[in-house]
Amino acid sequence: MRLQLQSDMASRTAFLLFFVNLFVSWVSATPLTGGRVLAVIEEQYDSTKYSQFLMDLKGRGYDVKLEPAKKDTLSLFEHGEKVWDHVILFPPKFKGYGPALTPQKLLEFTKLGGNVLILTSPSSIPEQVRELARELDIGLPPKDYITVDHFNYDTVSKSEKHDVILANRPAVSPAVHNYFSGKQDDLIAFRGAGHTLGNGPLLVPLLTAPRTAYTYDSKEDFAYAQDPWAAGTQMQLVSAMQARNNARITLVGSVDMFSNEFFDMKVQKPGSTKPQKTANKEFCRDVAAWTFGEKGIVKVNSIKHYLSNEPNAPVNPNMYRIKNDVTFEIELSEYDIDRWVPFKVPSGDSLQLEFTMLDPYYRVPLLPSSTSSNATTFTTSFKIPDQHGVFAFRVNYKRPYITYIDEKYSVTVRHFAHDEYTRSWDISGAWVWIAGIAVTIIGWIGFCALWLWSAPAAAKVGVKKTQ
Amino acid sequence: MPPKKNVSTPSSTSAAPSAAVATPISTPQTSHNVPSSNPISILEGIFKNYSQSTPQRTKLIDAFLGFLVITGVLQFVYCVVAGNYPFNAFLAGFSATVGQFVLTASLRIQSNPANKSEFASVSPERAFADFVFCSIILHLFCTNFIN
Amino acid sequence: MSSLEVLLKDESTRNIRRLLKVVILITIAGAAVSSRLFSVILDPWFNFRASKYLVKNGFYNFWDWFDDRTWHPLGRVTGGTLYPGLMVTSGAIYHILRMLSMPVDIRNICVLLAPAFSGLTALATYLFTKEMKDESAGLLAAAFIGIAPGYISRSVAGSYDNEAIAIFLLMFTFYLWIKALKDGSAFWGALCALFYFYMVAAWGGYVFITNMIPLHAFVLVLMGRYSPRLYVAYTSWFALGTLGSMQIPFVGFLPIRSSEHMAALGVFGLLQIVGFVEFVRDQVPSRQFKTLLKALIFIVFALSSAVLVLLTVSGVIAPWSGRFYSLWDTGYAKIHIPIIASVSEHQPTAWPAFFFDLEMLIWLFPAGIYMCFSTLQDQHVFVIIYGIMASYFAGVMVRLMLTLTPVVCVSAAIALSNILDVYLSIKTPAAPTAGAPSVNERKEKKPRVNILSAGKDSIVGVYSKASKIAVIAAFSIYLFVFVLHCTWVTSNAYSSPSVVLASRMPDGSQHIIDDYREAYYWLRKNTPDDAKIMSWWDYGYQIGGMADRTTLVDNNTWNNTHIATVGKAMSAREEVAYPILRQHDVDYVLVIFGGLLGYSGDDINKFLWMIRIAEGVWPDEVKERDFFTPHGEYRVDDGATDTMKNSLMYKMSYYNYQSLFPAGQAQDRVRNAKLPAVGPTLSILDEAFTSENWIVRIYKVKDLDNLGRDHLSAAAFDAGKKKSKRTKANKGSQRKLRVV
Repeated sequence: MRLQLQSDMASRTAFLLFFVNLFVSWVSATPLTGGRVLAVIEEQYDSTKYSQFLMDLKGRGYDVKLEPAKKDTLSLFEHGEKVWDHVILFPPKFKGYGPALTPQKLLEFTKLGGNVLILTSPSSIPEQVRELARELDIGLPPKDYITVDHFNYDTVSKSEKHDVILANRPAVSPAVHNYFSGKQDDLIAFRGAGHTLGNGPLLVPLLTAPRTAYTYDSKEDFAYAQDPWAAGTQMQLVSAMQARNNARITLVGSVDMFSNEFFDMKVQKPGSTKPQKTANKEFCRDVAAWTFGEKGIVKVNSIKHYLSNEPNAPVNPNMYRIKNDVTFEIELSEYDIDRWVPFKVPSGDSLQLEFTMLDPYYRVPLLPSSTSSNATTFTTSFKIPDQHGVFAFRVNYKRPYITYIDEKYSVTVRHFAHDEYTRSWDISGAWVWIAGIAVTIIGWIGFCALWLWSAPAAAKVGVKKTQ
Repeated sequence: MPPKKNVSTPSSTSAAPSAAVATPISTPQTSHNVPSSNPISILEGIFKNYSQSTPQRTKLIDAFLGFLVITGVLQFVYCVVAGNYPFNAFLAGFSATVGQFVLTASLRIQSNPANKSEFASVSPERAFADFVFCSIILHLFCTNFIN
Repeated sequence: MSSLEVLLKDESTRNIRRLLKVVILITIAGAAVSSRLFSVILDPWFNFRASKYLVKNGFYNFWDWFDDRTWHPLGRVTGGTLYPGLMVTSGAIYHILRMLSMPVDIRNICVLLAPAFSGLTALATYLFTKEMKDESAGLLAAAFIGIAPGYISRSVAGSYDNEAIAIFLLMFTFYLWIKALKDGSAFWGALCALFYFYMVAAWGGYVFITNMIPLHAFVLVLMGRYSPRLYVAYTSWFALGTLGSMQIPFVGFLPIRSSEHMAALGVFGLLQIVGFVEFVRDQVPSRQFKTLLKALIFIVFALSSAVLVLLTVSGVIAPWSGRFYSLWDTGYAKIHIPIIASVSEHQPTAWPAFFFDLEMLIWLFPAGIYMCFSTLQDQHVFVIIYGIMASYFAGVMVRLMLTLTPVVCVSAAIALSNILDVYLSIKTPAAPTAGAPSVNERKEKKPRVNILSAGKDSIVGVYSKASKIAVIAAFSIYLFVFVLHCTWVTSNAYSSPSVVLASRMPDGSQHIIDDYREAYYWLRKNTPDDAKIMSWWDYGYQIGGMADRTTLVDNNTWNNTHIATVGKAMSAREEVAYPILRQHDVDYVLVIFGGLLGYSGDDINKFLWMIRIAEGVWPDEVKERDFFTPHGEYRVDDGATDTMKNSLMYKMSYYNYQSLFPAGQAQDRVRNAKLPAVGPTLSILDEAFTSENWIVRIYKVKDLDNLGRDHLSAAAFDAGKKKSKRTKANKGSQRKLRVV
């Protein structure tokens, strides 16, 4: 049972919770990564605006607690342990969050495995969030910049600004796991500001702006943008960072997306004939579910490696010999909302095993060999290279949207022992020389025998000589 | 190895090589017994000299030396022709023969009555015991090495 | 009647002499052993570890030992890359003692092995010198070698290195060679080969024998001293010895592949030719014939040398190894193989070292060589060649002082014994001298005609009692001073183990600085069992042995690239070093820092070697020049170059060091430099441990940042520094686009 959570304690508690819940309350199962949600929201009044979203969370087993941002007793930790599993940050009414929610604290929280969902609105992006975003390499627009699109705006809400933009569900390549694509003609209403992403491999876009969208300063009195801050698909509406310990931080550019108003809104694209209901409810649920680890969690159940040709070979030995044939097995499961299912590698991708010492010597595909009700076993066999040293079986499978799999198992590969080389008599080429030695030795024995046998004559000679 | 080889070939069957080398320049010289300038007669003379004055045991040694040379040459030729793939085997085989050759040659030198003065402390019996001792070590090393 | 009496008397004196001889030898051996017991610390820890492994797992497992706790991640085929003689010897002793129901810890055997073998060395030297001159010279030589500091330096108790047994084997092999040559006996030749085999198993210096014996044989042939004895001795030694040496896995096919061994092979071939020619000459004697054959020999010899050169050039035979080149050109190693030059014992010897290590023997040495010239027999040629070669090599490398010491002892003993023969002789016309046996012991007063006294009449003073007493007294004093010197050197210079430093307090009491062991103990207790420790290779064996942790490089410097990798990591900037550390799974980095204590053997002083070695492999990435100021100085203070200040080694050495001092007063006591007021910062490492006197500093390598930031900005963020607001500046086209 190995979950890819790097901080031990956190994962252990998570597991404990998981198992307890599994047995005690199977029906209303608490989510895998824990159900304690802190929603930082300014006033009780505000919460009614997002009640559908929050109720939905509660309905999925989360214990959502609403707290104002500046509450003195608010704390993410107690005795060095996090007291929440997930945090949702709604934009604050005033300048910022309280001292409990500094970027350092939030990063500390993610370091312990907590997930954070940050909702922003153009008018209120507190400095804490900006600082955090800088660390994540997410570029946030300045205050009051908004994103508009003159081709994909909502005609129903009649906004002159064209600031309610309608985005399609993201189209993701078949090579990656996809948790956000739903139906293709779904429309997601968005009112806020997009942001840009750096090139860090840990950042993933969840919802990209349409090609014709751009962000500009809404305070300027121009009917058009002279100098857009960002435009097109370089701009993200929702994006996330999955940290190395698989904690997730999701940043949403529009808090309105999560509001009841947008959930129930009917929208119509320019040129389209009839209004349709937004897919915001489903999409936001997807976003929250992914952020809080209901989806895209992959765990390694077991790893086995052994000599291929020997039926009774010990499993997971510490040492192999060069040119051994070995088989490697890894069993993977994926969590899907409330249960473990067999992990599937997307069609355009392949799970690979590396056999490395400093650099990979081999990179071989791991193929599914057997599937049980909740796990898939991937297997491969290969011959250990002719190089001794401390090698590692490494499965390094890091893909967007799923937890990183980076398993490293060190084994020592030793050289041939002195009695494991091919013996000379097994090599036909050596027979001649074996014969050479044999003949020499036999000849020598014969010679010695003859010598001793001829002793009397020689003795006579010796006597003669001494005389 | 090669230079040694070239030389050991003749040295073994002592009569033939000396003639072979001696032949071209044998004319001015007067050989031991036969005061003839005919190469064949020199050869005969040397051979006769050899067969008469050499003790039987020395002849035995010479025969063994000849045998070893043939074995060695065969192995070497095989190595040149077929390659020396299990190198340790080649080394073991070939050096067993060469080693045996030099040890036997040492025995011949030591047991040669003419060298008596040189080897004051080595009697022929002692020489033979030494020879056996060395040969056994040699064979042990070689068989171990060929593995 | 009287003749019988004389006979009896002779018999009894002979017995007494024999007894005395044995007693003296035992005394010498005892003195040799006891003078090496001043302090006991096991030194090359690896050998000890290997011995333990051998005793625990048996010989075959030892032979096949693959060590995955050194040279991570390459590992080391230990069984195939070491000279097993030392471990097998102590293993054998261990098992024999156990068979005799004397359960001794292998540690004790390892500690006492070197002194025990030094006793044997004395014996071997006695035998060797006896072959050269006589027994009295032998006893003198044995006494000299027993206490000569040059040899003690490598054989104090606990110095468990290959040299501990190798010098004994060296001398004994030489003795057997001389014996074989003198007798012309194949038996002695075979014994010589067996001990040669043992020597090959024990020490890489066996190449010295491999070349000394052929050289001796070659010189003898050149001098026209070829004899059947030489043929018998040499061929039996070569045939058996070469085959034997190839049984050692580490040596393998080298004896017929590498140039160092070609001399032996060539001389073997030469002797075959010469032997054959001699044989033919016996058969057909003729002047012309002889000259022709001689010409033939030299043509064949020249041809075979040409073939050898050809083979070397074409690569069939390995060219001379780098270590060998450095013997001929002392500057070679510095340029081409800095790893060899970086070892202090590979430096050229400073001339005071000769006096320090050999004292009065050094001036008796030429006299002894002269004596050898005057009675030039085959064996004396050997001593002369040995003396010349060894003194050259000792001048090139401090370490090879060790091979010089025996021959110096031998020839000094020959010289001294000659002097004593003359001056203690009772047989001179004058009244017998009362020259009492001095500190050193010579019982043999063989009245014999001496070379020195060949022109007896001309030597003034031999007849006079007074001059005899004067000379003898002078030499007694010399010998006495020599003994004093040896004792002093041994107890002071050569008995201080490298892991424990001793210093004198102002009041004269000794203060033990035990930082190394403190740090190794910390590692052993506080790090996971499979932690990988990176340090400079000097400390590899100690970390492996005392801390029992995996190391990247160690004192067995078999892989230059791997060492250069460590050197590169140490000399690079943090962000360059970090991927290297990650790639090699390094968990901790250990540096030695002597700045606080004034301990000059620290890593900053060795740093230039790390840079040089790294530069040898990555000349584009590491440049020695960058570590020197424009004036060519190597500085650590304010004037240090940026490359120096940003190197990992500098940062690790001086990290937090300023906090020990009042602001701006930080002082490096080794380099006498005032350090910059602001100390270096580290972002990829955390300080994990610093020993009491700051000699050993251990750092833990940080994990990758959780958010994928580089460590510098992560550290800055954690320190509460805000990033410069780049939102405004990032407008428009200046922003980097994300690659989709």
